[in-house]
Amino acid sequence: MLLLIVLFMWCVGEMLVNYRVVKKKRLLFDDRFTKTICMAIASISSFVTALYVALLLPADQIATYLLPVFLGVFIGWQFGSLIQAPASLNGLYNGVMGGVMGMMLGAVLKNPALCNIPLNSNSLIATNLFIITMFITFSHSLVCFFIRRSMRA
Amino acid sequence: MEQSILLFLLYADICLIIGFYMYIRKVRKLVGFHLGMNMSMVMGGMAALLFGIVLITHLPFHFTYITLLSAIIGGAVGAWFGMLIDYQTFVTGLTNGLIVGLMAPMIGTVIEMQMLFIWFLHAFFIGNLGILFISIKRA
Repeated sequence: MLLLIVLFMWCVGEMLVNYRVVKKKRLLFDDRFTKTICMAIASISSFVTALYVALLLPADQIATYLLPVFLGVFIGWQFGSLIQAPASLNGLYNGVMGGVMGMMLGAVLKNPALCNIPLNSNSLIATNLFIITMFITFSHSLVCFFIRRSMRA
Repeated sequence: MEQSILLFLLYADICLIIGFYMYIRKVRKLVGFHLGMNMSMVMGGMAALLFGIVLITHLPFHFTYITLLSAIIGGAVGAWFGMLIDYQTFVTGLTNGLIVGLMAPMIGTVIEMQMLFIWFLHAFFIGNLGILFISIKRA
């Protein structure tokens, strides 16, 4: 559980760094670049955040089902409305999709019998969860790195 | 019998993707920004979907590694097709392939009548390739 919290803090930190960089350079963008940035950053950031929130909260409460979707909406809206007005629709849509998908993956990782996945012992479930969350954090860092690198040019 | 059909379909997918890549590389000058972005999204997402579903049907006991493998393959194919056009196309294809690849094995474990679904998915993939081919011809 401690590992999950550390990875969650890492992802949130990366997202805040990206937010600052985009906010500082938002006057330099054209339309196409805006669309790309909104699509990439909103979908994967809200996916990661919704996944960690769904894993860290205790199961079977109403907050477990509602909070990830609202976090996805919030992240997409923030990143979209930062740049230009028409981009906020794009960011909102991708944020909602990422939030719903992340919540689904979190529910399946917590209880693999939902999807008929043959992992029955507790240690196998924990190993599966840690490997997949570490891989998702790594890919989120990779996408954030590429986005920051594209802004430098 | 079913297992060998699955492996054959996987091989056919790899050959189709590599052949389409060769064709795109030859006509790279004709492909514009919008078509390039749509092309990298379609190819990354379809590659991730096909690999995830076919592999989870072939080996149902390795959910973790198949998730990682299909995400990596989807991102790599999207990035590879996007690299032909532009840097932004590269980022779009990479992200879309990663997201679809994380979702694909979950769909594969839920469905009933797996062979029917896989044949339908291949028909969809070939239809997508046909549409992309026509729109490249018109460009």
